[in-house]
Amino acid sequence: MRRMAALVGKELADLRQNPTLFAPVVLVGFFAILVPMFIAVILPSVTGERLSDSSDFEVAIELYRQQAFMGTLGPEAAIQAYVFQGFLVFLVLVPVTASMSIAAFSVIGEKQARALEPLLATPITTLELLGAKVLGALIPAVVLMIGCLGVYLLAIAWVAQPGVFWILLAPRSLAVVFVMAPLVSLAALQMAVCVSSRVNDARTAQQIGALVILPLTGLFVAQLLGAIVLTVPLILLIALGLVGLNAGLMWMAIRLFDRETILTRWR
Amino acid sequence: MGLSAHHLTRRFGERVAVDDVSFELAPGEIFALLGPNGAGKTTTLRMLAGLIAPSSGSVQLDAESMTSESGSRLRSRIGFLTETPGLWDNLTVRQNLYTYARLYGLSAPDRAVDDALDVFGIRDRDRERAAKLSKGLKQRVALARCLLHKPPIVLLDEPTAGLDPENAREVRELILGLRREGRSVLICTHNLDEVERLADRVAVLRSRLVAVGTPSALRQRLFVPRVSVSLTEPAERYAAMLRSDGLADARATGRLVSASLSGTSLSTPQIVRRLVEAGAGIEAVTQEEPALEDVYLKILHSEGLQ
Repeated sequence: MRRMAALVGKELADLRQNPTLFAPVVLVGFFAILVPMFIAVILPSVTGERLSDSSDFEVAIELYRQQAFMGTLGPEAAIQAYVFQGFLVFLVLVPVTASMSIAAFSVIGEKQARALEPLLATPITTLELLGAKVLGALIPAVVLMIGCLGVYLLAIAWVAQPGVFWILLAPRSLAVVFVMAPLVSLAALQMAVCVSSRVNDARTAQQIGALVILPLTGLFVAQLLGAIVLTVPLILLIALGLVGLNAGLMWMAIRLFDRETILTRWR
Repeated sequence: MGLSAHHLTRRFGERVAVDDVSFELAPGEIFALLGPNGAGKTTTLRMLAGLIAPSSGSVQLDAESMTSESGSRLRSRIGFLTETPGLWDNLTVRQNLYTYARLYGLSAPDRAVDDALDVFGIRDRDRERAAKLSKGLKQRVALARCLLHKPPIVLLDEPTAGLDPENAREVRELILGLRREGRSVLICTHNLDEVERLADRVAVLRSRLVAVGTPSALRQRLFVPRVSVSLTEPAERYAAMLRSDGLADARATGRLVSASLSGTSLSTPQIVRRLVEAGAGIEAVTQEEPALEDVYLKILHSEGLQ
């Protein structure tokens, strides 16, 4: 455990010296915050047309009428809550992008600096090494997401209709952010670590890790269309599936991270 | 006790990189592993360091076999300097060493790092990023890193490669210091001058061990010793005298007389005495020794012919 902590410390120190890795994350975070603001607040105020006047959002009003705790909201606020909550899934992309950026470079970066061999010559085990690589990427990814969430909530508190902010603090929003997001990120970065153990190009690892974005996008679209309502039990069910997926990926990462192959075949 | 290799063999597919290699590394011994590129030196080192497993054979450290289960524990008793320094470029010298001190589970990592910085004369550079260091300094940091945990076994892959003469000398002195502390050192190098200065024993590897022994034993095995005596007058007369005494290949070159010591019972002092008795004025006596490079090339050449 101490060896893992030592390597996590190194990973974090390394990241502080390499801030360009976070550029795509900042971009994703910026759009994840801006797009819902644009749809729910900026566009109606510019056009002078209320969201509740548009037939496009009937689904939202219908969905929100079915939930007792939304009863206090007016139609405009209900639609805003619907948009902001829907785009919360988009915020999950922040840690996913961060994880992939960091993790893809972690193993390949070590390889390219020829720093892996001296590291493998220490008493560190494969599990500790991979655990440290995963945590070293997951911790900053989740911290970044919490930062983005803070900005998102502050912006909502500032510009949205009264009461919308409190809806966003409901358990299901928190479950999306604090349960689903770390688990999805973990899956993405484990995929990136698996791939980066076997390839010499960080971009390849990132591209394959990016596959995780597909189901997330599907979830986002299904939610907006009203095909799926992300309730707390559904989120927990998805989380359970993600735990299983992560366990499988961890097992695969350990099997794929073959010290000998990395040392002897990588040039 | 110490480190030993027992019939180590390593195959990569069809290719046999290391073939049935056995040797022991005693405490306080400097053992040099020589061989041409691709001879299996680095693969042997990696097997000894527990980084890769042998296809057959075993590595033992203090009578305990290196296995996937014991590897993690045994690696803490080995210091391995890899062919390239492999530092974390974004981190400072101190951060590099500190992380390794923690990876080796040292109880006082800060103090261990301070000690290493002092021993290797890099304290004034400890806040610099590794990427900005010269090659010599990087190598020094890498050496500091591999000795941080004071391992009894030290494996060094090309420890002075790319260093300037001053830095190389410092590294050699450090290696001699390790021997004085009773640690076992195995060096892989192409620098035969370095081996000559440092090694107690030498092994020549070409997938399999071609020769093992002390440098002088290898010389004696491959080259006939010759004595040369520099005289104060032309040497022809004295060469003839030595030939008549049984030194069949005694020959004169100007004022120098030389003779092979092979196939004769005469020793160097006895030859000198005979010359003095015959009235020769002696200026200098030297025992001709072939350079280790000649020994090494002869070993490889004779191996190539087989």
